Amino acid sequence: MTARAKPDPLIHPITRLSICGLLAAGADWVEFAALRDAAGISDSVLSKQSRVLEDAGYVQVRKGAIGRRPRTWFRLTAQGRQAVQGHLAWLAQLEEAVSASTRDAQQARPLPGDRGQPRRVPPPLLGSS
Amino acid sequence: MRDAARDPAALELELLRAQRSRLADRMRPPWWYLTGVAIMWALVFSAPFGSRYLPRGVSPYPSILAAGLAVAWLLHWGQARATGIKTGFRNLSYRPGRPAGIAMLVVSLAANVTETSLIRRGLLAAAIVVAALAVVAQVAAQQALLRAIRQDLRAGGGAA
Repeated sequence: MTARAKPDPLIHPITRLSICGLLAAGADWVEFAALRDAAGISDSVLSKQSRVLEDAGYVQVRKGAIGRRPRTWFRLTAQGRQAVQGHLAWLAQLEEAVSASTRDAQQARPLPGDRGQPRRVPPPLLGSS
Repeated sequence: MRDAARDPAALELELLRAQRSRLADRMRPPWWYLTGVAIMWALVFSAPFGSRYLPRGVSPYPSILAAGLAVAWLLHWGQARATGIKTGFRNLSYRPGRPAGIAMLVVSLAANVTETSLIRRGLLAAAIVVAALAVVAQVAAQQALLRAIRQDLRAGGGAA
């Protein structure tokens, strides 16, 4: 990943993150119904949140119709893609940091059988001083 | 799986993975798609027969190429309409689909050369068999390409 890990307040809400994350997944354009079903949100939520993202310049919207049925297509702009990649990188870092701290806490906590015993220190790696 | 219940970042990423998986599942082509692909390649592989049996000076390649492109465009448009996902035409620069793309290129070149050579020697039945096998190989390669696109969608297309 080339984007700098950086939280983006605009796509921090989970619905907007879902919309942007799905649009960043590799498709050029995603249709309204496909995006709504994949994100598991309602029509009104998608309409509202996509308008916010469109106003911010993160999402491009193309409206058309097939017969009488209106069809709306979405895609990420370059600015939106950069923001999503940065935000996802930040989330991944956060996840890694939390899991590392959980691991450390578990290692620091003595096991029931180890009470009163000195903590075992792992042997140094070969070649390390 | 990580302890997502305690880690909101892990929870959000887990949710996004599930959503991408749902999106990728939508990318399954409709029943007519692979039939259409087979027809398109059958058109392409009929070109050597046309150049042998059409009157001299009439090249079937431009019309067959135009027909093949028209069918490809129709299939692409129909698939986007049916699935709600437009992926664009993937060329060899698209890394996940590169093996399938190379396979398609090699099969079409090899099949055209072999067919032409067999037709020149008068082995018409063998040329038809080669064309049929090439169509089957191209449909399999197209399926592999679609699988790669689905896998890429599921993985996030390099976004995360």
